[in-house]
Amino acid sequence: MSTFLQQLVNGISLGSTYAVFAMGCTLIFGVLNIVNMAQGAFFMGGAYFGLEAARLGLPAPLVLVVALIGGGLLGVVSELVIFRTLRARGGHRWMGLVASLALARMMVGLAQEVFGTQVQRYPASGVLEISWEIGGVRIQLLQVVILVVSLMLMALLAFVLQRSRTGRAIRTVAFSEDVARIVGVPVGRTILITFFLAGALAGASGMLLGNLFNVVSPFMGEQMLVKGLTVIILGGLGNVPGAVAGGFVLGLIEVFSVAYVSSSFRDAIGFGLIFFILLVKPNGLFSGFVERRA
Amino acid sequence: MSAWIGQFFASYSNIIDLCLLNSLIAYGLFLALSANMFSLATGGFMALGAYCSVYCTMELGWPFAPAVIAGSLLSALGAALIGAPVLRLRGDYFMLATFAFTEVVRVIALNWDSVTGGAIGIVSIPRYTETWHLALAVVVILYVTYTLRRSYFGRAIAAIKQDDVVAQSMGVNVFAHRLSLFIASGFICGAAGALAAHLNYFIGPSDFGLLRSVDALIYPILGGVNSLVGPVVGAIFTTILPEALRFSNQLREILMGALVVAIVLYLPGGAMSVLNLRRRRTGARGVELAAQPGSAKT
Repeated sequence: MSTFLQQLVNGISLGSTYAVFAMGCTLIFGVLNIVNMAQGAFFMGGAYFGLEAARLGLPAPLVLVVALIGGGLLGVVSELVIFRTLRARGGHRWMGLVASLALARMMVGLAQEVFGTQVQRYPASGVLEISWEIGGVRIQLLQVVILVVSLMLMALLAFVLQRSRTGRAIRTVAFSEDVARIVGVPVGRTILITFFLAGALAGASGMLLGNLFNVVSPFMGEQMLVKGLTVIILGGLGNVPGAVAGGFVLGLIEVFSVAYVSSSFRDAIGFGLIFFILLVKPNGLFSGFVERRA
Repeated sequence: MSAWIGQFFASYSNIIDLCLLNSLIAYGLFLALSANMFSLATGGFMALGAYCSVYCTMELGWPFAPAVIAGSLLSALGAALIGAPVLRLRGDYFMLATFAFTEVVRVIALNWDSVTGGAIGIVSIPRYTETWHLALAVVVILYVTYTLRRSYFGRAIAAIKQDDVVAQSMGVNVFAHRLSLFIASGFICGAAGALAAHLNYFIGPSDFGLLRSVDALIYPILGGVNSLVGPVVGAIFTTILPEALRFSNQLREILMGALVVAIVLYLPGGAMSVLNLRRRRTGARGVELAAQPGSAKT
């Protein structure tokens, strides 16, 4: 029983970082109907921005803000350099995928150049290493903080999308660019903001996961991209609440399959689930009760 | 002169083999893309073809040719099994399902130690693949694609590419056409995997992941999805470029990425649209259709 509870705790904190990352992927997909392959690179970038900020001795909340803004700016760059140019030139939508992938590789190369290929670690901060034993379950303060920060980011995104003027603009563009233009929504600026939000979410999750595992490397983005795609299928493409639920589901599946089945089949279970979902409920696990998109 | 040619082949034969192999893969993807199927299954198909053919030659002692065919057929079967349910879904779900397929195959390869050698992979595979095998395969696929594009089937595919709903309403069986193209794509990628395995002495699960699939997509897209020679151009370009940039191992990835981005931005219809630019200037119409953003929605 205590193993079960322990894995539940681990799975929830891991899943919350997946959820934050996947919200960004699904946001871009919902608005532009494209997959931004550079999202994994923003994740890696956010982890390094956070690392540098932490080494400068900034307090933890500021480190998070640096990772958020850094990731967001990378997202803005990808929109300005690639996606906007491609839209203006009437490029094929597959071209965006190729170009964003090339951008991701450039960023991985750049990170190797600047930070080296070695795995790096966040400087130890005494406060976050506290942990409690409750009924045989070890809960780290770090895990709690990560969960709380993730939940706050989710709430913040939900607030922006549902209540603010920008959020209404984003949802209008997601519904139809032409309609948005007719009713006077500044489409270009709205898409730019969407990319900033998605990049910021990726950067924040990079910093959070970098802290959780205490590993930062130039290659951490690739694997995360795979997980992000898995989560957005689980939750339904372009479905933000679905991505949150899917993130937690994937985190729990991974942790429990390591504990109860076998560590080597951790990924197979997740991907097998994707197949099943695509066949049975192609709009995602949560399509039944969540109709609204991005 | 002939001595010079001999020396040229001796020192560049690896790169030539690689260019031919990647061209073969590029045509597998070209077939899928020509019906708007954005397939990320290449890695999975290649893995099926590679492991099956290696099992046939090394464990069962089969000759090379039947082993390659067995690998290709297994991979085509895989394409049929995932294509049949998934091709009825909307375009993006197809992409994600093929992505899931590749990852499932990779994870199985990683864990089925008795056949695939697990994470270590299979080493000291006998080298059976000759350059002329690859060249022949590319020529055959080039010829088949050329004839196919001029047939009724090819025109039906062209209609599906423009708009599958209209094609369906004109009596084209969209599902059957897509499925048969996808199976053909699986067959070619499986053959490429089998040939690659007997070229490199070594295969391992990490050769066949998402990156492999995306690389394979880059060849035809970069070369141009509307032109018959586009895949070859894209494949050769992306194979030679890293070799040409070998002088700076560190900056290679960055330069490579920057070049690809530049091509995509300045030639959004692919490298082969250079020709179309000239044609458009001289007044020929119709080529612009291909580059319109909305035309790819499925």
